[in-house]
Amino acid sequence: MIMEFPITPPIGDRVKRKETLRFVTGTGHYVDDLLPPGTLHAAFVRSSCAHARIKGVAVEAARAMPGVHAVFTGEDIAHQVKPLRVGGSSLLRQIKLYPLAVDKVRYYGEPLAVVVADNRYLAEDAVEAVSVDYSPLPVVIDPEAAMEPGAPIVHEDVGSNIVYKYHFATDGIDKVFQDADVVVRERIRSHRIAACPIEPRAYLAHYNKEEDSLTMWSATANPHSLRGRIGDILDFPEGKIRVIAPDVGGSFGVKIQTYQEELLLPYLSRELGRPIKWCETRVEHMRNGRHGRDQIHTIEMALKKDGTMLGIKDKIIADMGSTYTVDHSIMAAALYMTGVYQIQNYAVDAFGISTNKTTHGSLRGIGKADASYVLERLVDIAARELKLDPIDIRMKNFIPPEAFPYRNATGALYDSGQYQLALKRTAAMAGYEQRRKEQAELRKRGIYRGIGVALVMEPTSSSRIHATGGYASCRLRIDPSGAVTVFSSMGEQGQGHETTIAQIVASQTGIPFDKITVIHGDTLPTPYGFGTGSSRSSVVLMPSAWVAGKLMRDKILGIAARQLGVAPEKLEIGDGKVFVRENHQQSIAVMEIVRTAYGAIHLLPENMEPGLEVTGYFVNPNIDYAPDAKGRMNTFSSYPYAAVIAVVDVDVETGMIKIVKYATVHDCGNMINPQIVDTQQQGSIMQGIGAALYEELRYDEDGQLLTSTFMDYRLPSVEEVPELALEHIVTPNPFTPLGAKGAGETGMLGPPPALCNAVEDALSPLGVKIRETPLTPDRILNLIEQAQATSHHA
Amino acid sequence: MLKKISLTVNGKLCSGEVESRTLLAHFLRDGLRLTGTHLGCVVGRCGACTVLWNGAPVKSCMVFAVQAAGDDIVTVEGLAQDKRLHPLQEAFWKNDAVECGYCTPGMLMSAYGLLDKRIKPTEKDIERAISGNLCRCTGYGNIVAAIKEAALNFTK
Ligand code: FES
Ligand code: FES
Repeated sequence: MIMEFPITPPIGDRVKRKETLRFVTGTGHYVDDLLPPGTLHAAFVRSSCAHARIKGVAVEAARAMPGVHAVFTGEDIAHQVKPLRVGGSSLLRQIKLYPLAVDKVRYYGEPLAVVVADNRYLAEDAVEAVSVDYSPLPVVIDPEAAMEPGAPIVHEDVGSNIVYKYHFATDGIDKVFQDADVVVRERIRSHRIAACPIEPRAYLAHYNKEEDSLTMWSATANPHSLRGRIGDILDFPEGKIRVIAPDVGGSFGVKIQTYQEELLLPYLSRELGRPIKWCETRVEHMRNGRHGRDQIHTIEMALKKDGTMLGIKDKIIADMGSTYTVDHSIMAAALYMTGVYQIQNYAVDAFGISTNKTTHGSLRGIGKADASYVLERLVDIAARELKLDPIDIRMKNFIPPEAFPYRNATGALYDSGQYQLALKRTAAMAGYEQRRKEQAELRKRGIYRGIGVALVMEPTSSSRIHATGGYASCRLRIDPSGAVTVFSSMGEQGQGHETTIAQIVASQTGIPFDKITVIHGDTLPTPYGFGTGSSRSSVVLMPSAWVAGKLMRDKILGIAARQLGVAPEKLEIGDGKVFVRENHQQSIAVMEIVRTAYGAIHLLPENMEPGLEVTGYFVNPNIDYAPDAKGRMNTFSSYPYAAVIAVVDVDVETGMIKIVKYATVHDCGNMINPQIVDTQQQGSIMQGIGAALYEELRYDEDGQLLTSTFMDYRLPSVEEVPELALEHIVTPNPFTPLGAKGAGETGMLGPPPALCNAVEDALSPLGVKIRETPLTPDRILNLIEQAQATSHHA
Repeated sequence: MLKKISLTVNGKLCSGEVESRTLLAHFLRDGLRLTGTHLGCVVGRCGACTVLWNGAPVKSCMVFAVQAAGDDIVTVEGLAQDKRLHPLQEAFWKNDAVECGYCTPGMLMSAYGLLDKRIKPTEKDIERAISGNLCRCTGYGNIVAAIKEAALNFTK
């Protein structure tokens, strides 16, 4: 189905965001800002071993401490609640997971007991007084070691650490490799990182005894799903649960999943009859928030001598961590390893591995970031091998604009794109030709300047059965007073939905932007829908607002048409009136229509329902929920991308990298609010720079996380912001009414491959090859040293 | 042991009872219910809790409430006067320097500490002033632009 997109202002305007006013005045309300009378505070006892049997938990001393109301262990809870409902596809070996560890701990920091006290200080004091008797088990941290026979088993009931397997191959793939002029092979690892929104996770559960009902405030990106999960674990009717995600201080994927602590709080509140709050510390966020990336790819590409790409074979080992519940990171990588290139021969074997690390999960660009990083590195390596310019080899193999919609080897259906144009523009913005010339000059002067190219594509708006259902909804109501409210099925964590939804509804209905209020994140008034992830809001949610707006428009015009005695097609809305296009004098006030809809229903067109309330649904287009006979399927609906050229100087004495320029051209289709897209892109790029250069979650052999504060896990600050040139081209997505493709993640995908390619280019005179990231100064110095050692040997 | 303290917050004399270990940030938020001051790390590394303490920006998670007894504190709630936004707040809004809003109060207070000196800041001054404030959403560019713009209204 190809949709039309009549896009009229304020869609496309750089409207100031509605939500910003409360944020600059400090009057937003995040979970930790709420403090209902009688609130108690929880704190968790966490495992100090990465893998151990729990022999005993001594809680008596803690229970006796001042201000302590209760202490529960995993054992206490296990018989009171059901195990967590875990997600994941049918390929994933299911595990049983309770809110607190029972019998055994599987990662460092796993919650195993909880204290509830009058305030957070007293709760933390009491945590110190709980003593745990462990019987340590051998620890497995390295996913490749975890695959070996005889490795310590993380989940005995699963019987193996290989908890997920996927195989896909197109016909005749081996022949392609045999016949190729060149095959390049590489082992590339995407390292483990953390999302680190500045607001950590925060929850507040309030069970109301009189009403036998439960209200849960959660810094979640997925309120409706959370509601069902709370109902499940407590065996409590979903209809009596209300989940509210108030203002949420960023998510980047980490808050879309449901957590052990999150499901425990409602239980505690019901047991103790008091509101219970828990706000994560930063250390807990690093240890217990879901981690991202951490895939090892052993990948090979078959090419012709002239650089034509023929096929790709990949083996993916994805470290899922310990108490894993989802597997979509693997599929999101495995289905897209051919990226933006015309490669129809492809084979992959993917393995999900359980280890004694923190659980893996969603993080901005999940799986897709690993795929684009590995592929864009491999393309550069192939270019170097064939002595081709990194731009030329890409241009030669890009899917051309006329080939869209394009079905890739795994069945993914790319909506639209102009990759050549994007890269050409980026090259012009970066002054590519000139910079190549300068580079040669600078090298003579001992300056190691490198230029890195990448084109990253980011599948967005995934839909999987029961996990992220392929639709969103908005209910739109005009009250008898004329007040306009939109109830959105999706919460927001900084994306600016209150603004963009209002822009869409204003554009459709002619109601002024300022008069529209958007309510989101509260399961009571909002219609059902899934969380904000996979950049789905502009692709799925915004069209649902558009549909609601259109239904409302049709209704208003229908009422006006009857009153004015003209056909609805002849009418326009504007200036608070509905008027005849040909004769503006012939009009009726919108307020008059409102009064009619509610009070003078005898004047409504035949068969029209009274009132002014409509619900718009939008179904994610082109999604396959099951593979075809050859195993092909499309699980994402839209395919934004960005071309990047990064210019860096590497100081070979200190190992420091300076980004001289970062130029990028981004295509997310039509933009509802280009200002919001720009800001989000900048933030996304900085997060990617952090991932490429500074941020890494590191473990020691015993499974202790070595990087659990902002001291050793370094987020980019303002001082790391490079000179950034950001432009857009617009290739509308033909499958959605707004032509949007999703904008949140592409920015983050660019820096890892572009900066690695740039640094490798800079250090190519020294023969340095980069296989591991982030590119910290000590790693760079090591690489230089190694390269020099090998060249001395040679 | 609880101690009674009083201090001036946003121009008003306030008092409350605190333990010696109570952090200023917690006193402001839980005691005075001024929740605009946010907590992102509670160990002095994110800047979300920045307030002015006797005119200088400080991370209020690194100060005990008792240390601030008798002193003058300004929080984000004290920026707007008579419901009129402060030029910094206006500039943050106009320049789209805010996404989730969690870092925003701390950013504003660090910037306020800089601009309050009434010396025209350079770009480097601005960067230095907010270098201890992390923002995960915006990538900082718009924040710097906003502070620059607001600075024009401050310097004569
Ligand atoms: S909360 Fe004070 S610096 Fe992070
Ligand atoms: S706006 Fe979200 S952390 Fe800065």
